Amino acid sequence: MIEFDELENRMVLKLVYYGPAMSGKTTNLLQLHDQLGQKGRGDLMVLDTRDDRTIFFDLLPFFFIAPSGLKIKLKVYTVPGQVKHDATRKAVLQRADGVAFIADSQCAESGNNVASFENLETNLALVGQDIGRIPLVVQFNKRDLRDIVAEEEIRRIWDGTGIPVTTASALGGEGVVETFSLLVRSAYEHLDRRYGLAENHGLSGAEFHDQIVHR
Amino acid sequence: MDSVQSIEFVVGEEKRLVDILNEDEVMPLLQGALQSGLTAAALLDADDLPLWSCGKSTVTFSPAEPGGCQVESCPLHLEGEPVGRLCFALAGDDRLLLKTTATVVAGAVRTIMTANLKRMLTTEIHTRVVNRSYEELLEANRRLSLSEKKYRDLAENLETLVKERTAALERTYAKLIQQEKMASIGHLAAGIAHEINNPLGFILSNLQTLRKYGGRLSEMLAFYRSEVEKGTTAGELRPAAVEKWQTLKLDFLLEDLPELLGQSISGADRVRKIVADLRGFSHIDDADDEKPVDVNAEIDRTLSVLAHEIPPSAMVIREFGTLPSIVARPALLCQAFLNIVRNALQARPEGLVLTIRSEFEEGVVRLVFADNGPGIAGDILNRIFDPFFTTRETGQGMGMGLTVAYDIVTGCGGRIEAESAPGFGASFILTLPAGR
Repeated sequence: MIEFDELENRMVLKLVYYGPAMSGKTTNLLQLHDQLGQKGRGDLMVLDTRDDRTIFFDLLPFFFIAPSGLKIKLKVYTVPGQVKHDATRKAVLQRADGVAFIADSQCAESGNNVASFENLETNLALVGQDIGRIPLVVQFNKRDLRDIVAEEEIRRIWDGTGIPVTTASALGGEGVVETFSLLVRSAYEHLDRRYGLAENHGLSGAEFHDQIVHR
Repeated sequence: MDSVQSIEFVVGEEKRLVDILNEDEVMPLLQGALQSGLTAAALLDADDLPLWSCGKSTVTFSPAEPGGCQVESCPLHLEGEPVGRLCFALAGDDRLLLKTTATVVAGAVRTIMTANLKRMLTTEIHTRVVNRSYEELLEANRRLSLSEKKYRDLAENLETLVKERTAALERTYAKLIQQEKMASIGHLAAGIAHEINNPLGFILSNLQTLRKYGGRLSEMLAFYRSEVEKGTTAGELRPAAVEKWQTLKLDFLLEDLPELLGQSISGADRVRKIVADLRGFSHIDDADDEKPVDVNAEIDRTLSVLAHEIPPSAMVIREFGTLPSIVARPALLCQAFLNIVRNALQARPEGLVLTIRSEFEEGVVRLVFADNGPGIAGDILNRIFDPFFTTRETGQGMGMGLTVAYDIVTGCGGRIEAESAPGFGASFILTLPAGR
């Protein structure tokens, strides 16, 4: 959580799209921007890129007011995937309320997925978070390409971990909202346990979700 | 570090409208609206309080604006959140002018907001990353400096330490070499003492016998003298004299006498020779300086003083070539030879055949001490000159003999090497520069 100002009755949340370089994090946000309804959704802010590679981050903000009057702002970020931007990744990851890990389904990228996931684990620990506790969704992107890891293989590896896994073809817009939807629900549960969103603010999980994820 | 920085700045920290926009950017746009004919324009915050405004001050921009003004309002969003609105009022009925102007100004303000927010986010993250990288570099630098200092201290101390230890080691080494020499000399002295004692013993015994013989001869002579003084005639004297002669066993005495003297002289001669050898070997009469040395003679000297250590079963074959003299300290050279020969003697106590060959070729004197001992195993061949390396049982020398030989030979600019095929004896090859 970026900020919880009880005086101003305001909560600022952060979700982060993490993953190896070129796995489609920015594409996920672009698709969310295109597919989700305008109400409560801010503009997508794509900070400087070079050759279509994210240098800093992208930001897609959402805003709505809970029944209690609690103002909720949700900021969805991407991190730069390239290894050299680790300092930026750490800065963006700080105080995240949930992480979507966008993996590249191509067989050749398996190593990069693993390295990036390990990097996520390390960086989470560095900013005082535990990968076992933070709401986390893994998306295997680029399902439309050839030479990709088979879905059975993905299930075999990930099902035991309890981490929800989705598949997507972000360029075609498939699976993007589903991934985001899972992450938002997971983040709500986590926040509700801690801040009693339903009890104190009359904000149910469904409403939290629908305020953000709607066409 | 993280906690401190997270207080300073977190990616995603909220921005207020007044952080994003400033008067210099907004006021010209509002004034532009007036210039195009509007009555009033203002930017209100989320609580509808004006941040910036211009034009007729009595305009409130409420939907039911008194004074016959038309009002147009354009909401402003920051990250999806409504943060205020732009309001425009026109006293008159040119609805199109009001709408168009409002749209243009609002569009401009929104563009400025987006651009500014983008710039701020970029700058912040950039600054943060740079700061963080800088701090990490500082920290890395600090740690490196620390460890560098540690290693430098260590290195400095190490140098002193190594110097001290080396000096101590050198002292110990020198002492050990000295001890080895002393032990070697002691060993030699013990053998030679025995060697001298032997002839000395029979010389003494002979002298004692000779003293008795002298007494008996004196007695015979005294008998003759007293008889002569008495005027006894030869005829009267003979029987008494013969009796006396026989009593004194002078026949045997006279027979034994030359043998005793001969033995004694040869014994004394042996002692003289041993002493001479020892003098020669130790070069006790020489100043301890380098001088021209006849290597063959020095080997002979060494073998002489070692004679008592060489068992009868051993055979020493000398194959001496003609050598030029070399410049060295002869006493040291003898010590080296002694240690090498003694090594061979210890290697094969019975049936040793030691061939000592000397030759001169290509400016160097080459000496080979080849024995028929058990030889030296390949894995220890390169260690036999190391201090304290010994294959002998404890108490049979401390492994310095060959080390001393090595030091002496290299000390006079030569080289010493060992060659061996186990089972076929060992050879020590010394090369010494001639006429150095």
